[in-house]
Amino acid sequence: MTTRAEFLARIRTQMGRTPGRFTAEPSPRPERPRERFEVLRRELSERWQDNLQRFRHEFERVGGVFHRVDVAAAVPAAIARLAAERGARRVVAWHGEALGVDVAAPLLAEGLQASAAPATEVEAAERSRRRALAADADLGVTGVDLAIAETGTLILVSGAGRPRAASLLPPCHVAVFDRDALVASLLQAGLALEAWHDGAAPGTRGASINFITGPSRTADIELTLTRGVHGPREVHAVFVEQGLAPRRG
Amino acid sequence: MSEAAPVTPLRERAGQALQDTFLQQALTIATTKFIGLRREAFDDFPEGEALRDRARAIKEATLQHLDRHLEQLIDSVERGGGHVHYATTADEARRVVLDIAGRAGVRVVVKSKSMATEEIHLNDALEAAGITAVETDLGEYIIQLAHERPSHIIAPAIHKTKGQVAELFARELGRPTEPDPEVLTRIARAELREKFLIADMGISGANFGVADTGTIVLVTNEGNGRMVTSLPRVHVAVMGVEKVIPSMTDLAVFLAILAKSATGQKLSVYTSLVNGPRRGGELEGPEEFHLVLLDSGRIDQLAGPLREALACLRCGACLNVCPVYRQIGGHAYGYTYPGPIGILLTAMLNGPGSVTELAHASSLCGACADACPVRIDIPRMLIELRRDGVERRLPRWPERVVFGVLGRLLRRPALYRLAARVGRVLQRPFVRGGTIRRLPLFLGHWTRTRDLPPIAGRTFQERWARLAREDHP
Repeated sequence: MTTRAEFLARIRTQMGRTPGRFTAEPSPRPERPRERFEVLRRELSERWQDNLQRFRHEFERVGGVFHRVDVAAAVPAAIARLAAERGARRVVAWHGEALGVDVAAPLLAEGLQASAAPATEVEAAERSRRRALAADADLGVTGVDLAIAETGTLILVSGAGRPRAASLLPPCHVAVFDRDALVASLLQAGLALEAWHDGAAPGTRGASINFITGPSRTADIELTLTRGVHGPREVHAVFVEQGLAPRRG
Repeated sequence: MSEAAPVTPLRERAGQALQDTFLQQALTIATTKFIGLRREAFDDFPEGEALRDRARAIKEATLQHLDRHLEQLIDSVERGGGHVHYATTADEARRVVLDIAGRAGVRVVVKSKSMATEEIHLNDALEAAGITAVETDLGEYIIQLAHERPSHIIAPAIHKTKGQVAELFARELGRPTEPDPEVLTRIARAELREKFLIADMGISGANFGVADTGTIVLVTNEGNGRMVTSLPRVHVAVMGVEKVIPSMTDLAVFLAILAKSATGQKLSVYTSLVNGPRRGGELEGPEEFHLVLLDSGRIDQLAGPLREALACLRCGACLNVCPVYRQIGGHAYGYTYPGPIGILLTAMLNGPGSVTELAHASSLCGACADACPVRIDIPRMLIELRRDGVERRLPRWPERVVFGVLGRLLRRPALYRLAARVGRVLQRPFVRGGTIRRLPLFLGHWTRTRDLPPIAGRTFQERWARLAREDHP
């Protein structure tokens, strides 16, 4: 088998045959991306209404359903309504601290089978059980780390209390967010990605970041657009006007 | 050589495709739709043109220091708990993956759509080793059930009717059903969901590998990429070395143009950034992550004539606009990668000798270069491949004789004029209604599908000489 050294040596040999032929430069990397992203956030917080309007427009264009509630405490009721409309009984959700609002307890009180992900490491058997729960669930509730107005995209960072399956396995995904998540463009999201990867990641950070732009779709059979081929058929975004609790992770 | 050469000549393969009425219809509808969607997406995105230049510059800059960027990628992946493997040939890549599967006791593999694993014919190797490999992209699943190969880079089953898919599902899955895409998709969802949940290993390609952070980026619409990288206990990503990009800042640039070029979406539904194995506290994610870096002819092109093709994003835009692809479809090309860029990639992977015929499957109209998000000058390289073929004396003798004679004539004006006069006499029996419909012998290949304009009664040179005399009597 080829070793790292052999492999790279072959590349260097070939590179040696192209002296000075190409002069392109890579993208300048933002310096101190965390600080720059904080500055950007402050700027964006003054224009959040424009960005929300654009987000809503683009999100609906890709087949998302937009909802608006006043306060975080109104989120469980909004989810319960969605569940009732669909005859949904089983709900999996992110942990309350990762979501910015606890939805599992109020939903249980409404008579739904709701469970929130644990906030800390659990054993393999418990992970399998949780996975089976998500696979059987009718509804998955998650938070949102960034919402891109330009494209109608939700960005979700995985981690402790932030299972990937909640936005993937159930046929209906409900994402809860507030104005802090809004950015205007994909390139601004690029700055956020730089900031998130600057220095050591928090211990609760997972190994996966997902950009979600509408419901799962395919056009592989005669170009007929069909939703929900592997991921959710429906994606709902619930905007909390007065903001969620500070979130963890 | 990594791929077997097609058995029948291109002429026959193309001829078959041209006679397939459904294929003709499907190709026209699909490529026309993709062209329109792409145009609309860029019309709505004024900064797109500048970003295409930026994207190309990033690719050039990365190739310029490929060793450094790959080293950084390798280090970041290993720091994140992943393992990196090196495959010089397709065969070695297959052995690496089989070795990982063997050690982990893998029996069922789920795959997300990946041209790199198509290119190395990984499924055959897995099946031969007694491992069940299931393609999970709906299009790929359909062609796997049909034991076929993809016919388009991003729409692999573009050549199949819903009726054919329904028959296929009835036969292979024992699920008779009506030919309704909605119903067929639901069946595939149920079948594949089960596979996702029992699979031991997920195999993906990589649209990008971010050196800075050790992140593998997958772009899908169905969500199968997320399943494959999150549910099985082992994840293997097979990535061509040219897919490395320096940073997340660069990634944003590519994401801004990739989906627009491919399907006209602003972004594909899912862009998944994967940073190695499951981390503490997570409920999902593989216990093992392996990155297989694939050479297979790529590294030689760093200083080779096909270097530009290393910038390719595999978006399929050049297929949709190509007048040849639009007529003959993907299968007629005979190798994994179809279309204009496919000819270059085939030459890269299998050597220039593999595209002696294919290099001519282009009108050199330049539509591919215009559509390419990173502006790869595909026609220029096709011409180079043609020249390479001629220099190696690959054309048949009649072609060599004809062009040899023509070359001599063009260099001697007196001889050229004489030839025109002689030709005018010789062509007489073949001219019907002002055109030449049929030529004799091997020349008949030319006139089989098109007319040849005859040599004019008075040539341009003769008329020019006459006009000059009239102006200055």
